[in-house]
Amino acid sequence: MGHHHPGSVSPLRTLTAAVRHHRDRNVGPVKTVKLPRRKLDFFASVLQRFGELHAPVARNGHFVFQRVRRWSEARLEYTRTELPPKKYFLPPRETLFRFTPGKGYVPESEDLDRRIVLLGVHACDIYSLNILDLVFNGKYPDPYYQTRRRNIALIGVDCIPDQRCFCRSMRADTVEQGFDLFFYDIGDYYLTLVGTALGDDMVLAAGELFESVTPDDVAEYKRRSQERHQRFQLDVEIRDLPEIFEMEYGSEIWEELGAKCLSCGSCSMVCPTCYCYDVADETQLGSTAGRRVRTWDSCLFATHAAVAGGENFRHSRASRVKFRFYHKQRGFVAEYGRPSCVGCGRCSAVCPVGIDIIEVINRLRGVEYAETEHAATR
Amino acid sequence: MPRPSTLRLARDWGGEEAVAVPPFTAAPATHEYEPLLEANPYQPHLARLVRVFKMVENNWLFTFRFLDEQLARGFRHRPGQFVMLSVPGAGEAPISISSSPTRPGVLELCVRRVGRVTGALYRLEANDVVGIRGPYGNGFPVDRIRGNDLLIAAGGLGMAPLRSLLWYAIDHRDLFRSITLMYGARTPDRMLFRDELVSLLDRTDLRCLLCVDADPSGTWQARVCQLPGLFERVEADPTTTYAAVCGPPVVYRFVLQHLLALGFPKDRILMSLERRMKCGVGKCGHCSVGYKYTCMHGPIFTYWDAINLPEIV
Amino acid sequence: MQATKPTVGIFGLTGCAGDQLVILNCEDELLSLVDVVDIRDFLMAASGGDEFSTLDIAFVEGAVMTRRDEEKLQRIRRRAKALVAIGTCALQGGVPAMADGLDWPSAVRDVYGPEGDGFDALPARALHECVEVDFSLPGCPIEKHEFLGAVADLLNGNPPQLPTYAVCTECKMRECDCLLVDQGRFCHGPLTRAGCRARCPSYAVPCVGCRGPVPDPNLGSAMDVYTSKGWSPEEVVQRLRTFGPLPTPVPAGEAA
Repeated sequence: MGHHHPGSVSPLRTLTAAVRHHRDRNVGPVKTVKLPRRKLDFFASVLQRFGELHAPVARNGHFVFQRVRRWSEARLEYTRTELPPKKYFLPPRETLFRFTPGKGYVPESEDLDRRIVLLGVHACDIYSLNILDLVFNGKYPDPYYQTRRRNIALIGVDCIPDQRCFCRSMRADTVEQGFDLFFYDIGDYYLTLVGTALGDDMVLAAGELFESVTPDDVAEYKRRSQERHQRFQLDVEIRDLPEIFEMEYGSEIWEELGAKCLSCGSCSMVCPTCYCYDVADETQLGSTAGRRVRTWDSCLFATHAAVAGGENFRHSRASRVKFRFYHKQRGFVAEYGRPSCVGCGRCSAVCPVGIDIIEVINRLRGVEYAETEHAATR
Repeated sequence: MPRPSTLRLARDWGGEEAVAVPPFTAAPATHEYEPLLEANPYQPHLARLVRVFKMVENNWLFTFRFLDEQLARGFRHRPGQFVMLSVPGAGEAPISISSSPTRPGVLELCVRRVGRVTGALYRLEANDVVGIRGPYGNGFPVDRIRGNDLLIAAGGLGMAPLRSLLWYAIDHRDLFRSITLMYGARTPDRMLFRDELVSLLDRTDLRCLLCVDADPSGTWQARVCQLPGLFERVEADPTTTYAAVCGPPVVYRFVLQHLLALGFPKDRILMSLERRMKCGVGKCGHCSVGYKYTCMHGPIFTYWDAINLPEIV
Repeated sequence: MQATKPTVGIFGLTGCAGDQLVILNCEDELLSLVDVVDIRDFLMAASGGDEFSTLDIAFVEGAVMTRRDEEKLQRIRRRAKALVAIGTCALQGGVPAMADGLDWPSAVRDVYGPEGDGFDALPARALHECVEVDFSLPGCPIEKHEFLGAVADLLNGNPPQLPTYAVCTECKMRECDCLLVDQGRFCHGPLTRAGCRARCPSYAVPCVGCRGPVPDPNLGSAMDVYTSKGWSPEEVVQRLRTFGPLPTPVPAGEAA
């Protein structure tokens, strides 16, 4: 199977093709059914036959994805989880190899075949995984990521945007693929899009639980979809943003942000599409045997672009902050045809110094922040 | 690769009769290098340290041969590509390949002692085992250079990645028009591959111009001058020549100045860049410059790329 | 050829001996440790160390606070091929360095009364202020996994690898609640070196900065954050000085 250089093909087609190839699942005609809301717990128990059930769970007023033992723990009406589902596919810390002087480097495959059903993933987070697919596929597919991607099922759920969501602007407020099932709340029912054969099996395994969709259900979906669309409070224009980033490369805004940024790495950790990692060998006492471990990394760290000889290509904090924005909004577009940001709002939520991506983009555009807020409510 | 039917995949997933699918399989035995990539691109292949040549202080030449005979014989690279070298217990680092693909069987890596991995490499002895994977990167566009004149300009340690191109061109002498090498080092004992290059001085089928900034020993046979000084002796037709440049920033500055003054188009000047890398295969993010990954789009960039990518030099 | 085992010494200057305790608490690994190294000097674990042999690695905890400390440290330095500072006192003076800037003789008299005059007590100094230090393991106390990792690395001839990023990074990896942003508590996370896997924040206790500053702390911006949340600049400085002098901003990149 040929590897086409992206860029020559339309971005959407590249994305679609890559995701199809990658997931090994048919993205055929999507079937739509509905699930009575009060039967969701029953369906959850059916899902456990397909793997460990993981869902958003409340923890001190925050939400995290974790394994649910009792369905009552799950929270499907949540804002955003602390970490995106990225942690399931590219864990913060994982062993790639074990090495011994005798056997050499043996790939570590423990845990990779864990079957998980991840229930309650928002559209932007599913979109972010479709984006990570582009990175971890390509000429050199990453077998660790890919295997987990095959073994973890995704069931999406729709959401109501809050004051930090700007997925609509990043065109990630809906996903057409990348999920096995997707639930839309239509009151007493979840309108359910079946995305894959596996999703279909889940529906079938639930026996008579799912019902056919009526024209009224569709009308209710459309009404709510329209309403949701209007609830976005943030709006940012991404058309020609790469060009503006290019033109504003010398802008004083970068120095300003550099003076503020603490290089704490929080934004990169919580970002659903930040994928930079570090690799280090850890040895056992008294031998050169050990493990090769990869951990999440951030381009904001001073060491990120420092070579062994001592030279650092992004020495200043300002250049690192700039790089992070530039790579998301400009670099990724050049490489894969769209920005890697999905507008989930996590980075602005966690930044200790209040660096806000919307504000940065609007300032680069020369648009007043207040004006945008006004525009969002129109 | 046949695609499993979705039906089977779906059944594998849930039911009682679920079949345990192995997460991924080890590299299949192969005759060619490419297919190995299918399995695990991070898999280092064991190689034996055949020889250590203490070429220059803190710049030794290490010769490796893969333990796997098929791999040792089947490994091919393009000049300018690099490998990821694993030293057991220390870690992994990107190293450019100094040997020419026209001389297969072993890999020669000129390694500067700078950090944890290279420090550990310097403590190895012949027959110790390391891990190597690759080759990675674009390498020099030798197909485009063919039929043209080739000008290689190296300063200091910049000879390491260019030596592969030099010998490729010499071994394929009929594919190229004129070949010129300009190489300057600070002193004779800091010149990489010195004896080998000195032996090229008398050849008539290529111009080998070597210089040193100073010769404290008084034994240097060739010129004593700065690298740009060699340009006086070079006549290059910019429309038929490709220039390959590598060296410290000061070398780039002066050599580029001279090449541009000679009228070289910016996309006929090729440069080899060094960046921090953890994967070599476009994932880890460390080597990105602007919107390109040095490991995938580079390490060979044209000067045109360089001025269009921020923070590249 | 059976090579002799590398020799190791573990020493304490003025401090609480907490770092040596961490080493003693490596219960499962302690046996493998003595398997691969020859511990010549470890007063906490055995009396009557061998005071004259050369050491491949010397681990030294505590700050230099007396002339006796200084002499001891210099003796260790002469014996050791590699000297590793362990714990925050050894790295930056630690809690005793809080007294920095006080008038020393009057401070001693305030604490000990008139007898204080005769005490052999000096302002706290980090090891690197007295002798050359090869490697450092931060923490109050040090982390067991970092200590064992460092020994493994040193025995292989490799420099130990320690994170240079901030506690926030590890805190986020564990999905702890942000005590600074969300709860407005004084958390040193953004300025403090990671490696503890955000132990305190994971128990909802703000980071107090015991591992010392990251190599390139952005003090100015951090000050703005803390003062905007209601702390006075003096209070911020006082808190940041808990484990040593205020970090001097290092140009990024020269760290690591």
